[in-house]
Amino acid sequence: MPTISIFHHDLEQLLGQNANINQVETWLSLVKGELKDHNPTNGELRVELQDSNRPDLWCVEGIARQIRVSLDTKPSHYPFLTNKGRSKRRLMVLPGIEDVRPFVAACATTGYHMTELGLTQLIQTQEKLADIFGRKRQTVSIGVYRLPAISFPITYGLVKSEEARFTPLGFTEKMTPKEILAIHPKGLEYGAQLSNADHVPLLWDKDGQVLSFPPIINSREVGEVKIGDTDLLVEVTGTDLSMVLLTLNIFAVNLADRGAVIDPIDIVYPYATAMGKTIKTPLDMSISQRISLNAIEHALGTPLGSESIQQALSGYGYQVKATRHTLSVKLPAYRHDMMHVMDVAEDVAISRGYDSFTPIMPANFSVGALSPVETLSDQIRDLMIGFGFQEMFSNILASRTEIVDRMRLAGTEHGHIVEIENAMSESYSCLRSSILPFLLRVEAASPRSFYPHQLFEIGEVALPDMGVDLGSRTVGTISAIIAQPGASFSEIHSYLDLLMYYLVRDYRLEPTTHHSYLDGRVGKIICGKHEVGYIGELHPEVLEAWQINMPIATFEFQIQKNN
Amino acid sequence: MDTTALLDSLHPLETKVLTILKDADCPRSDTELAEATDLEPSQISMAVGWLLTKNLLALASEQITPIVSLSETGRSYHASTSPPEWILQSIQEHHERSETITVKDLQAHDYFQPTELSRAIGLLKKDQAIRLVSGGVLERTGTESPTTTALRTVLEHVAKEAQALADFSSAHQSLIRQYAVKRGSLQEPFRIEDDILRTYALTPEGQAISQLTTSQSLEEVSQLTPEMLKDGSWRNHSFRKYSISLRPPRLAVGRRHPYREFLDSVKHKLTSMGFQEMRGELVETEFWGMDALYMPQFHPARAIHDVYFVKNPTHAKSIKEPFISQVADAHEHGGATGSKGWQYPYDRERARRLILRSQGTAVSARTLANTPDIPGKYFSIARCFRYDQVDATHATDFFQVEGIVLGHEINFRTLLGLLNLFASEMAQAKEIKFLPAYFPFTEPSVELHVRHPHLGWMELGGAGLFRPEVTIPLGVNVPVIAWGLGLDRMAMVALGIHDIRDLFTSDLEAVRNMRRKF
Repeated sequence: MPTISIFHHDLEQLLGQNANINQVETWLSLVKGELKDHNPTNGELRVELQDSNRPDLWCVEGIARQIRVSLDTKPSHYPFLTNKGRSKRRLMVLPGIEDVRPFVAACATTGYHMTELGLTQLIQTQEKLADIFGRKRQTVSIGVYRLPAISFPITYGLVKSEEARFTPLGFTEKMTPKEILAIHPKGLEYGAQLSNADHVPLLWDKDGQVLSFPPIINSREVGEVKIGDTDLLVEVTGTDLSMVLLTLNIFAVNLADRGAVIDPIDIVYPYATAMGKTIKTPLDMSISQRISLNAIEHALGTPLGSESIQQALSGYGYQVKATRHTLSVKLPAYRHDMMHVMDVAEDVAISRGYDSFTPIMPANFSVGALSPVETLSDQIRDLMIGFGFQEMFSNILASRTEIVDRMRLAGTEHGHIVEIENAMSESYSCLRSSILPFLLRVEAASPRSFYPHQLFEIGEVALPDMGVDLGSRTVGTISAIIAQPGASFSEIHSYLDLLMYYLVRDYRLEPTTHHSYLDGRVGKIICGKHEVGYIGELHPEVLEAWQINMPIATFEFQIQKNN
Repeated sequence: MDTTALLDSLHPLETKVLTILKDADCPRSDTELAEATDLEPSQISMAVGWLLTKNLLALASEQITPIVSLSETGRSYHASTSPPEWILQSIQEHHERSETITVKDLQAHDYFQPTELSRAIGLLKKDQAIRLVSGGVLERTGTESPTTTALRTVLEHVAKEAQALADFSSAHQSLIRQYAVKRGSLQEPFRIEDDILRTYALTPEGQAISQLTTSQSLEEVSQLTPEMLKDGSWRNHSFRKYSISLRPPRLAVGRRHPYREFLDSVKHKLTSMGFQEMRGELVETEFWGMDALYMPQFHPARAIHDVYFVKNPTHAKSIKEPFISQVADAHEHGGATGSKGWQYPYDRERARRLILRSQGTAVSARTLANTPDIPGKYFSIARCFRYDQVDATHATDFFQVEGIVLGHEINFRTLLGLLNLFASEMAQAKEIKFLPAYFPFTEPSVELHVRHPHLGWMELGGAGLFRPEVTIPLGVNVPVIAWGLGLDRMAMVALGIHDIRDLFTSDLEAVRNMRRKF
């Protein structure tokens, strides 16, 4: 989740009070924020925000707001969200856009003298919201413009990609959307978000001046906001109405918190949306929910009572009305994350402070136990260690080269493995189907460690099996090797025999061929009716492939009884 | 040096000497010690030297005795004849043949050196046993030579064995001195050497130490053998002491892998707290890995660059009902959970997509759907995989320690209580902090920070109450705690490891050397 850069004095200004860094760090628990870094020289704080459902907190204004609400013990009031009446500005949506990027929201903001700090924070918020909340601009993208350069109404519609021309940010000459997609860095980066490159979304004003080619790039002429600008237009387009509206609300309250006056804009759709055909934005979408007091008290394990729950929620930004057994709660307009009463319960706990809840030890009795396979693994491990074998422990991703090719198994029945489709590197592109290659990796890396090397590892392997639901089975397996001059079948067989004796398993060896082993010195291990593994001396070609200069005798078998 | 160290430092030879002196009523000489201990004089001399240095032994007396023995010349005099005897005999033989003999004639033989002859002639003349007449002719006077006789007596005496000079008469003593080897005159029959007889006695320290030595004067051996035990002959032996401060040879042994041993301690701790172990599959469906945990299908952590997808087959055959439908409902509109849901069209095809298990919570989700015990506690130590660049802090695959607690008594406060227990049991921490946190599948969510005795403040884990959107579609109608512990950093510090990849190192030497510090 996002890590943002904010400034101490900016935060203090937004809070309306001074606070030292320790105080700030304590307050950060209100926003699930973690202070990652603090530069005392310039007052920069790097803060990681955990809550992916609270994009309103991914900016200094939002952090300050949540703290301020808590200090004031009541929600902030934003009059532009409640004023009735038509807006003086309109944005017209044209038919056709509904299949591409159907939703837009916008507002004008006036009277805030843009500072350098305010501008960097605005840009940071724009980037974080579009990138993370808007899924790399797919569902939400944001544009900010100089208001005086725009004549209303604005139009939002689809145009042919070679018909419009404007100067995009970062360039000095006019280009068509088609050219932008072909050569502009942002066109190259985000062009894939457009399903149809022939007809593209565009925002333009009454004079035909292009504002933006969402979600790719804004116009340089009207979209380059500078320090000292006082009047802005903020617009959000996207594929999810509530996310588009929420994003605009966040920008509106952020600018309002810095002193701007917010003028809503009427968005006029040619089609019906969940919020109607004409939507005045910013729009407070949140509606009051009746929730049970009992559910909150039960979840928190404390009979807090209506009044203190009400206080806690007010002090966290909610509008609350209480009756005897229920609460009517409403989230502030910059939040849209209440799915369940448990969300409210957590806010109560955060608002009151987690430390205000006395921990209670869970008292229900339960019997602890290891799983059968783990119990068996431990039994085998104890035996092998007693036999003088060093236990190894490996990563279980490897390359096909290691698991198949070097083991001379390509094209054999043992050459099937579970492979990763989107592997990051060839070295970690397969799940192991055998542990032996991992012990050979150790042997190859450790010729200088004194001999003898008696190694084993017990753990999970994944065996492809088209007969089961998941296409593979995870199976507990043990592999052991003896690497030393004179390592022999007979020696490793003695250990296997002893192991099987103590495990009370009837087993027998059957001559077989297996490409990893020397012919005539390999056996199939059979327990009951099941073939569970192999024992033998490794083929010199396998050792050569691993660049091992020591003979190796080994066994490997699946440990579960009922496989 | 304290007594024990002193005692331990004693060589067996020293012990033998101490043992003899302990029982002796008077000082003993080296010879006596050698006899009593049955050791070589050189061994006694070594032992005595060491004991003197350690101040356990002191010189009691020193007696110097001149001892007379035969020189090479003396032995030849004794075996054949001495110069005066030869002169007398030669004169006698010539006389019997009515011949004369001169000094020159005597010197013509090379039996003796001229100096020996002239000294002998001088002696015989002094004894008046011969006289020198004109022409250098030697004649016997008829008088015996007592010196010659005395010389023979002494030769016979000393030839038997060396004798103390003092044992001879004063006349013989002066004779011996006269004919004893001196510097520059090697052709003398006698040798006088000083025999220094030293006797030694224990110092008070030596007396004290000797009381503590138990070793008898036994034959020293290096190895106890089965034969010695069989016939009891070990009683007649003492065992050579070793230089025990030397480094021993290394061994190739069987031993648990230290990281695995750390995880063993975790699992035993959890079972002792009443948790049952859960196991799962390395390959999972998106359904059990994410959907069932109420992570919406558009969740950023589910993208192609966060999760490993399986190449073949790409999809599971089916997802069990009623879970797929109930989870789909929860995502779309909340279903029976009391939630409004994520409000998006749920993709059942995607639910079957196969991935490598990306979080241990998948195992918990399966347990919830498999009629768990209520009340019940479960844990798993599950191998998980994330699409991450491998570096010092990111491993290709890693273990997640996580689990659930189900029960009617479960709520936010029992959650905090459980975390309290984890803090003290898993990290021996007395100071803890609970911080609000975010996980897609829990609400409320908590981060547990503890002050570890060796690591200082650290995040030990995350937990929360499973959202009803998770539990109810899986058929569980009681509150459930979901918890996860981050123990790798603790393991790394305990094992002295700085790179997370070294937890699974292929370097055998590193594994053999690795050990837990706490």
